[in-house]
Amino acid sequence: MTKEPLLRIDDVVKKFGEVAALDHCSFDIEQGSITGLIGPNGAGKTTLFNLITGVLQPDSGHVFFKGEEITGKKPYEIARKGVGRTYQIIRIFPKMTLLENLIVVGKGRERKVMERAMELLHLVRLSEKKDDYASDLSFGQQKLLSLAQVLMFDAELILLDEPAAGINPTLQNELMALIHRLNEGGKTFIIVEHDMSVIMNHCQNAIALNYGQKIAEGSCSLVQQDERLLEHYFGR
Amino acid sequence: MKDLIGGHKTWLGIAILMAFLISIPFFASDYWMTLLVLILIYTVYASGWNLFSGLTGYTNLGLAWFIGVSGYVSSLLIADHKFFWLFAWPIGALFVGIVSIGVGYILLRIKGVYFAISMVALTEGTRELIGTEYLEPITHGGKGVPFVAGISLSALYWSVLLLALITVIICYKITSSKFGLRLIAIREDEQAAETLGIHTTREKIIAFALSAFLTGLAGAIHFTYQNYIDPSFGFTIHLTLTPIVMTLFGGVGTVFGPAIGATLFTFIHEILWAELTILYMAIFGAILIALILFFPQGLLGWMKEKGILPRIRKI
Repeated sequence: MTKEPLLRIDDVVKKFGEVAALDHCSFDIEQGSITGLIGPNGAGKTTLFNLITGVLQPDSGHVFFKGEEITGKKPYEIARKGVGRTYQIIRIFPKMTLLENLIVVGKGRERKVMERAMELLHLVRLSEKKDDYASDLSFGQQKLLSLAQVLMFDAELILLDEPAAGINPTLQNELMALIHRLNEGGKTFIIVEHDMSVIMNHCQNAIALNYGQKIAEGSCSLVQQDERLLEHYFGR
Repeated sequence: MKDLIGGHKTWLGIAILMAFLISIPFFASDYWMTLLVLILIYTVYASGWNLFSGLTGYTNLGLAWFIGVSGYVSSLLIADHKFFWLFAWPIGALFVGIVSIGVGYILLRIKGVYFAISMVALTEGTRELIGTEYLEPITHGGKGVPFVAGISLSALYWSVLLLALITVIICYKITSSKFGLRLIAIREDEQAAETLGIHTTREKIIAFALSAFLTGLAGAIHFTYQNYIDPSFGFTIHLTLTPIVMTLFGGVGTVFGPAIGATLFTFIHEILWAELTILYMAIFGAILIALILFFPQGLLGWMKEKGILPRIRKI
């Protein structure tokens, strides 16, 4: 345990009125891992993403990124430290071109930003559409663009909210292959997904949430065997 | 079309237009000069409004506040403190620019219609404040401030021509820059922009203060030209609404839309007023409704959509 985890969630509580969206939730994410975050609707998965990225503040508990406390920091500060996210409902900038969608988040010299943006558009195979408005893309393509935006500011930890939902299998495979390639390049991923096969095939670890509590954690197969999880998730 | 924008012909055209505009005081009548001064002042108002509201999507219904505050500061400096007009104008504009950093810091957390209303409240509140008898020793209260700045119509025209030119160049530079893209990102999805590492509050405040400064500068010139300011005149809602309508007319979020809108609007207004003095407000209203119904993106927005102009941010 000498190595610092990339992300540490420490006893985090978040209540909306009387309902605890997250109830004393704790876990660590290791550098270079792909972790699946599973649980039924309303389990607190998206709330957790919102707390990590600073969109929401926890009522109590702490979030650490690379050993540094990021609880209470502004979303842009957390992003600049290297945390990127995509949304379940795509939130790219519709009336901006693909190229502009990337340039706008780039840091540094104009030319370098431009080169990096083109490089990423090639990576997600959208370079031919660079001057189209993002609103003209298909849903799946918008997800790819959204991922490229996160890569544009060199996020080390990438949170993906249902990346595979609602897109065709070909694009889905392409997206998952891209995630693996980026993972080999050193990026760490946390993926929220309802499709268990995506989690089983692509994640090394899984964390299961229910009613805001962590009910299981470990390798994918272990989590899948967990009785409580099966009960909640598959209604057995 | 692209050649026309970047080519030598464009620069030649701009040079000829500029030479013509600069030489106008040597041959034009006072009537035309007056009309042009108003067009140029409104070009700055509309461009200044568009620079903040057109790009960020935060509807500012307090443009008159920028104009009135700067107008008051500069007018009082000229009337009571015997400042030379050329020094009084930038002091008024800087004053409103700096105060609006504080105002922006507080009000730019409020979104949508609530922000719009809060700016109206700020304008009305300031008008009341300046008109109170308590402040009469400083502001002259409700009586207003008549003054003579001793500036010729030609000098005033050249000043405002220079300001309008600088304003349009600033708008051009910003709209096609990364800063401009960040402002547009705020308009498109502020929360997403924030989680992508954009310091949205800072960007909004910078744009807001810059808008205040440019609009304030035009406001100072406007009231020097009128030789008079009072609370209801300096903070009238017309000073907010007219530039907004002009911008909608020319194209929100475009570079040249506000200038084109201000020019066409002023001419149409003038012609209708001269020809149909009694009915002109009714007809003017009908034209506005038709424009908003059929050209919601404004003239430039419509031309970009139809492919008459290229769909780039530099226009």
